[in-house]
Amino acid sequence: MAQIEQSDGGKKKKGAQKKMAIHVDFTPMVDMNMLLITFFMLCTTMIKSQTLSIALPTNEKLEQTELQKAKESEAITMILDTVYDDNGGVKGNTVYYYFGKPVTEFNGDQLVSSNIEVTHFEGNEGITPRGIRKILNERNKDVLKQVEEQKQLWRDKKITEEQFQEAAKKIRNNDQLTRPVVIIKPMPEASWESVISALDEMQINQISRYQLGNMTDVDKAMVFNTDEFKKSHKE
Amino acid sequence: MGKVKPKRKSTLIDMTAMSDVTVLLLTFFMLTSTFLQKEPVTVITPSSVSEIKVPTANVAQVLVAPQGKVFLSLLGDADPDRAEEWGSEALRKEALKTAAANYEAYTGKKTGLTPLDLEKFAKNASFGVPLSKMHEFLMLDQTKQDEWLGDIERKDTGIPFDEIRYTDQNGNQLTTNEFQIWMRAIYNSSNSNIHDAIQKGEGIAVKSDRGTKFETIHKVLDNLQTIKMNKFSVMTALKTEAD
Repeated sequence: MAQIEQSDGGKKKKGAQKKMAIHVDFTPMVDMNMLLITFFMLCTTMIKSQTLSIALPTNEKLEQTELQKAKESEAITMILDTVYDDNGGVKGNTVYYYFGKPVTEFNGDQLVSSNIEVTHFEGNEGITPRGIRKILNERNKDVLKQVEEQKQLWRDKKITEEQFQEAAKKIRNNDQLTRPVVIIKPMPEASWESVISALDEMQINQISRYQLGNMTDVDKAMVFNTDEFKKSHKE
Repeated sequence: MGKVKPKRKSTLIDMTAMSDVTVLLLTFFMLTSTFLQKEPVTVITPSSVSEIKVPTANVAQVLVAPQGKVFLSLLGDADPDRAEEWGSEALRKEALKTAAANYEAYTGKKTGLTPLDLEKFAKNASFGVPLSKMHEFLMLDQTKQDEWLGDIERKDTGIPFDEIRYTDQNGNQLTTNEFQIWMRAIYNSSNSNIHDAIQKGEGIAVKSDRGTKFETIHKVLDNLQTIKMNKFSVMTALKTEAD
């Protein structure tokens, strides 16, 4: 390494210069490098943030948007709610949903709904979707099936990624298939995380028609009177 | 019986190999690093399966603190040939100039901004004080400015959403607010790349903590909708579909 060994053949010539062993001590150099590495490690962001694009409808008062005209049978309304713990951290996100129009009736002076259901963001268990994903998955199964076929072609290297994306887009927007229309209504208290999770489910389930909407009074009353809401907000 | 002397070993360790490794690591970190942006509040973004990367140029980032304060940070064009007219500093300067001019026109109040203020403003990555206090803010030194922005309880931290009433040329009564003034100023800047990016929905990135309540963020979304910037992106962290 950084030292010059004396050649030790045993046959030293007379008058040959005595060679000094040169040792360079690298310890300070290593120390300095380690410091620099530490500095860079602490100051960098290795993972760049990702983005999710959202398109909101215009704020102009258009009563009959395309989504509102959508067939009742295809509509799913998702109402998002979040329960917080004492420190203000998110304890759990709840999804209340109903298909088509809300079916409501008065029970005494309380407006209750017979078609409102409760679920959560549960993701997958292995490859089986659970929670809200399962519901959306079932509703959009025609599209998902066709997209999966294209994905298989892509996996088998029969088509390129661009071709796959192109085909998937076409399938998502195919009018011939039964596709759900999802209206996401976050409650004022819903966490940002739950909104993103809901938008994420749209991507995962290849749903092309969705929008963020505002809660109506009927929605509020319906949710407030569910057992789940009463239970989760009592604690 | 003579004692057996233990053979003394040299304690010198050859550090050369170690040094090689550390230099390699150092090189790696230096090349891959992008420095953390200094932000008034630290937020943990929610995770999503979306894999679109955050743009590093031509983007206006809207940071929404959990308490409802809003901060903006601007990045201009990355093209070094155009840095003079379209770069981050030029964009910030122009945005402040336009925003201040509009604010003065709408409210009739003076902002008292000097050319020196513009120069100082151009160096700041993120900002969030009312335009009426901008001059005061820019006169402070860096540490004081950070303290100001970091103090989330302070009344004059964050871009205000207070209603500003004004009458346009046709005599119509209209309302706006400082956030809208800022966003319009950015949109109408001479850098046409950021203009296009905003139209495509890549030019505005909303960043907020996962625990922030929707009503807080809704205020920002609602204002973006009002000024017809209804396509934008939100910052998320990556997760896989299985999570």
